[in-house]
Formats: sequence, C-alpha cells, structure tokens
Amino acid sequence: MAGFREASGDLQLESVTKAFGDFTAVDDIDLHVPRGSFFALLGPSGCGKTTTLRMIAGLEQPTAGRVMIGDTDLTGSRPYERPVNTVFQSYALFPHLTIKDNVSFGPKRRKDKDAATRTDEALELVQMTQFAGRKPAQLSGGQQQRVALARALVNHPEVLLLDEPLGALDLKLRREMQVELKRIQTEVGLTFIHVTHDQEEAMTMADTVAVMNKGHIEQLGAPAALYDLPLTRFVANFLGQANTGVGTIKDTDGDHIVADVLGTPVKILKSRSQVLEGEVLFGVRPEKVTVSRSQPDGAGNDVKGVVRDVSFLGVATSYLVDMPSGTTWSCYEQNLDVEPLDLRPGDEVWLTWNPGHAFGVPVDET
Amino acid sequence: MSALAHVAGGDPDFDPSGPVPAPTKRSWTAYLLLLPGALWLGVFFVLPLVQLAAVSLQSRYPGFPGYYYRDVNFENYASALTDYAPHFARSFLYAGLATLLAFVVAYPLAYAMAFKAGKWRNLMMICVVAPFFTSFILRTFAWSQILADEGWVAGTLNFLHLLPGGNIINTPLAVVAGLTYNFLPFMVLPIYASLERADPRVIEAGGDLYANGFTTFRTVTLPMSMPGVLAGTLLTFIPAAGDFVNMELLGPQRGKMVGNVINDQFLAVPGGYPVAASLSFTLMAAILVMVFLYVRRFGTEELV
Repeated sequence: MAGFREASGDLQLESVTKAFGDFTAVDDIDLHVPRGSFFALLGPSGCGKTTTLRMIAGLEQPTAGRVMIGDTDLTGSRPYERPVNTVFQSYALFPHLTIKDNVSFGPKRRKDKDAATRTDEALELVQMTQFAGRKPAQLSGGQQQRVALARALVNHPEVLLLDEPLGALDLKLRREMQVELKRIQTEVGLTFIHVTHDQEEAMTMADTVAVMNKGHIEQLGAPAALYDLPLTRFVANFLGQANTGVGTIKDTDGDHIVADVLGTPVKILKSRSQVLEGEVLFGVRPEKVTVSRSQPDGAGNDVKGVVRDVSFLGVATSYLVDMPSGTTWSCYEQNLDVEPLDLRPGDEVWLTWNPGHAFGVPVDET
Repeated sequence: MSALAHVAGGDPDFDPSGPVPAPTKRSWTAYLLLLPGALWLGVFFVLPLVQLAAVSLQSRYPGFPGYYYRDVNFENYASALTDYAPHFARSFLYAGLATLLAFVVAYPLAYAMAFKAGKWRNLMMICVVAPFFTSFILRTFAWSQILADEGWVAGTLNFLHLLPGGNIINTPLAVVAGLTYNFLPFMVLPIYASLERADPRVIEAGGDLYANGFTTFRTVTLPMSMPGVLAGTLLTFIPAAGDFVNMELLGPQRGKMVGNVINDQFLAVPGGYPVAASLSFTLMAAILVMVFLYVRRFGTEELV
C-alpha cells in the first residue's frame, strides 16, 4: 500500500472551505470529533453536509483548510490513502461481485492475510452470512444497506462515514436500522460520522449533533442540549417543533427579561436568551405548554388562544391553537387524567408555560 | 433462510427467490403486435434461409455449367471446408484483429465520453455517429484514397522508413484498417452505454476501499462495462467476418476473405450457387459456434 497513511486519534477539520466556482458549499468550518464518538451532521439538502463528508473521505479536496486525524494531516491525500471508509447513500455495492467479494474488496486491496476471516466476521456482525453468495441485485434495500455497512466496517477504519445511509429505507426498517447502527457503533467503538437531514435520526443516534446551514455550522452539541436551548432561529425550527413569537424587550425582572408581544408580557430567563435588548424571537416546545380552560394563576406566561384542531393520540393529545399574533401553536399534552379536557375546535383556551422553559434567539436570520 | 432474515431485521416482504413473475394472463394484443415483425422475418429471413439450404445441397449437371439439379449433395460442404479453408482463416483473422483494434480505440473514447467529456459529450456522440450519414461504400472508397500510395499516410510512413512493403493499399493491413474504421461505432456505442449507466458512486467506492486509480479500473469499472464490451465485440466481429467490401476496395488481388468468395460464386462463377450457399452456411455455423463459446466464457446474465 504505497502512500497509505496510518493515522489514529480525533478527527479535526481546521477552517475547511470548499468552493465550486462561485458557490461556497462549505464555508470555513472547524470541527473536532473525539475518537469513538457517534457524530451527526444535520441539515437541509444543500447545506454542505455531504460535501464536508466527501472532504473527510478524500473524494473532494478542500479549497482551503486542513483535514486531520490525530496528528496526521490527510489534506491532499487520495481516498485510498486514508484510514476512512464510507457507506454511500445509494450503497454503491459492486454489482458484478458477490456479497462476500464486495465485503472482502477492501481487505484484499490492503493485502490483509486474514481477509477471509474478517469478511466472515463482518458479515456476521450485520447478520448477512447466509447471503454471502448472492449478488447485490438479489437483495432488498435493507439487506444491501447492511452489506454496505459490512464492506466499510471490515476495514476497521479510524473514521466511518455514513452518507444518509437510511434514506432509501421505509420508516419501519429505518427505525430498526437506527437501533442496529447504534449497537454496532458501540460494539466496534469506531468514530462514526453520520450525515442526515432527518432530525429525529440524528437525535436518536448521535452523541453530538452539528446543525449545518448554508455551509456553516449553526450549533453543535448533545441532542438534548440543542433541543432544549437552540441558539439560532434556524436550529429552533429545524430541530423538532417550536412555538414561536416575536416581541420587543421592554424590561427586566430579576433573572428574566420581559418582552412585549402584542401587549402581552412574556418572560424569558436571561441565561436562555441570546438577545437581551431590542427584538427577540422567543420559543417554547409543544410539550412544555399547558392547555387549560381558565386562566391559571402563578408566575407562568399565559396567552389566550382558540383551538383549531384536536388530535387524540392515545398516550397524548395534540392541540393546534390559533394565537392572537396570527401564528398557530402546537401543544402536546400527556393524557395523565382519565377525564380529558374535552376541547373542541373553536373553544377558547389558555396556554401556559414556565418562563424557564422558553428560549430567546435573534429575530433577523431565517 | 427467510426465517433468519426476519430475525436479522431484513425486509419481511422481500422474496429473494427471484423477480416478480409476469402476469400469466396473455392477451391477443401481444401477438398482434408481433405479427408485422414475424411476417417480415418469415418472408425475408426464414424462407430465403430454407431456399439457401436447399441450394447448398444441389449438384451441377456435368458439362453444363450454370445448370444444377435438386439433390442431397454434401460435397459442396466438403469443398467449402477444404478448398476455402484459407479464406475462412483470413476472414476470422482479419475480423479478429479489427475487433481487437476497434476495442483498443473505442474503450478510451467511450470512457472519455462517459466520464470526462462534460459539455462536449453530445458533440462527441455526433462525431461517432456522423459517418452513418454517408454510405458504407463511399466511406470505404474514401479510405482507398487515404491509404493510397500517393496519400499522406503511406507517404509519411515511407518517409520514416516504417513501411517495409512500400505501400498500404492492396495489403491485408488496409483491409484490417478499413474494417476497424467501418465497425468502430458498433464498438463505441454499447461500451459507452454501459459505462454511462454505471453509478459513479460505485467507482468512487473502489477508491474508498483502498484501490488506486488503475486497480479501481481493473476491478470495478472494466467488469461493470463487460456487458457493453461483449455486445460491442459481437457487433464488430460478426459483420466484419462476413464483410467483402473492405477486401474488394482496399485489399490485395490474391488472398481474399470468405465474403469475397461467396460474392464471386454467386455473381461471377457460372453454376457457383451451391458452393456459395454452402459457404454461407458454413460461415454462419462457424460464427454461431464461436459466439456461443465466447458468450459462455465472458458472458453475463444480461447482454448490453
């Protein structure tokens, strides 16, 4: 293996930029992924996440910046020189080779003496041993997906890249594979970089999620932290549902700022607001809003709205409520009581939430 | 096996035993649609073939050249196999060389068209197909000009002392060159089609799995394009082996190909019909056997 670069350690991107002509797909991003973690790059299509992945794989070279694993600089090296393997979105299995030959392709190229044993182990890991003699076209999408995973894992790469690996599967299979992928990652302990536009997928699987938008990383953190305290409007809307409103900060009240939203004062904890004066976009998650028939007393924020729609989901009831500001809020109430509220569309309700549960982000960006 | 697949979380609805069977209910529409083609083939292919088979077994009236009678005479075939064995050998040699040369020229061309051409792709495609707008005979005549002793090709080669015989025209070299040129598009197009259909991600996967550029080509790209290569070689070799125009216009006076013999026996030799017919059948059989062996060796499930 002339030119193969052994490297081990954390993955680092240092001020990486990729431009295609006038279009900057990835704009000066820095990323540090600790070894052995499950990292998700989440964003809408065209946000630069796949380009970022391809630069780590070596399938694209950055216009500027460096790609490192541990202390080894991989910038400029070819894909086959990197200890990195990819699970492609379309699986990209070799159609002319059997499943076994697909999986042993990597070890054979590296002249691995244990190629056969490792191939068997990898097929075992993804539970595809009984299909070893088949051609890819003879397998279902889910099975091909497993083979693609085995073909990458068999090489024990330092970093495994997954490019929307579950995108082509139906919902049920996707949920199964999410659990499976997480199990395999824990078992083999490799660094997984998972690119997806499915926020639920990113949140269920990854230790750390980086939300990307227009070539930038908007916010990076644990899924719960991103959900609980988004720092930008984009993250608030992209990750889960958010009920939002725009207000002007008029006052402070101890630890809180008080924003005026069409005459109604709304309190937000200072530590949870990115803006402390001027316009603020406040948000609160659907499950943190309480629906009641009469105005509750207490220090919560409360607004009167009109029920638009009620969906009974068994464990919970979901309400859509038209707000005075013209937006529609979504509220998710657990059915803890056997006597439900029995609300109908058109009923007036009070929505209440704890000021400590709301978040404030700048209004300007989309 | 399928029980295991369920445990493995495989798609429970997937039946790995094969493709979905076609609906068994046959409608008359299918036969109606087949009718014009079947009639055409029957009248212009099957009937003449039967006629040709009958002619190939006829005998001549001794002393009356040009007259023959219905018979079951296999001597024509014996003559085809012995007297004309060198012609068969030359046909297959020249067609084989032309196929090889066409492959060597066509593969890089098709590869460039499929992966590197970008906005030039359509223009290249037009250039490949454009010769078809001119008659086959005319194009071959043009080649007799290009390869003539006074032409620049022979002139340049002679100037460089690279042409031992002194001329190209009227040599087997000119025949192979003509065959290569005339059948090149039949090689380029199927290879291009199979390369163009290949998922670029699959080729990238080769690189991702530690194969450098050349190894990826050898182990991924080339095998994936094999159906196209197979189709291209057949589309080149089969007509080239039966061709007589290139030999007639570019080749030497002696040492003809089997196509020329068949042509002469039909049109020039009085009473040559039975021999011409038996030569035609022998050529057909020989090509069928070769194609069968070739496809068995290199074939894949799906042609093209």
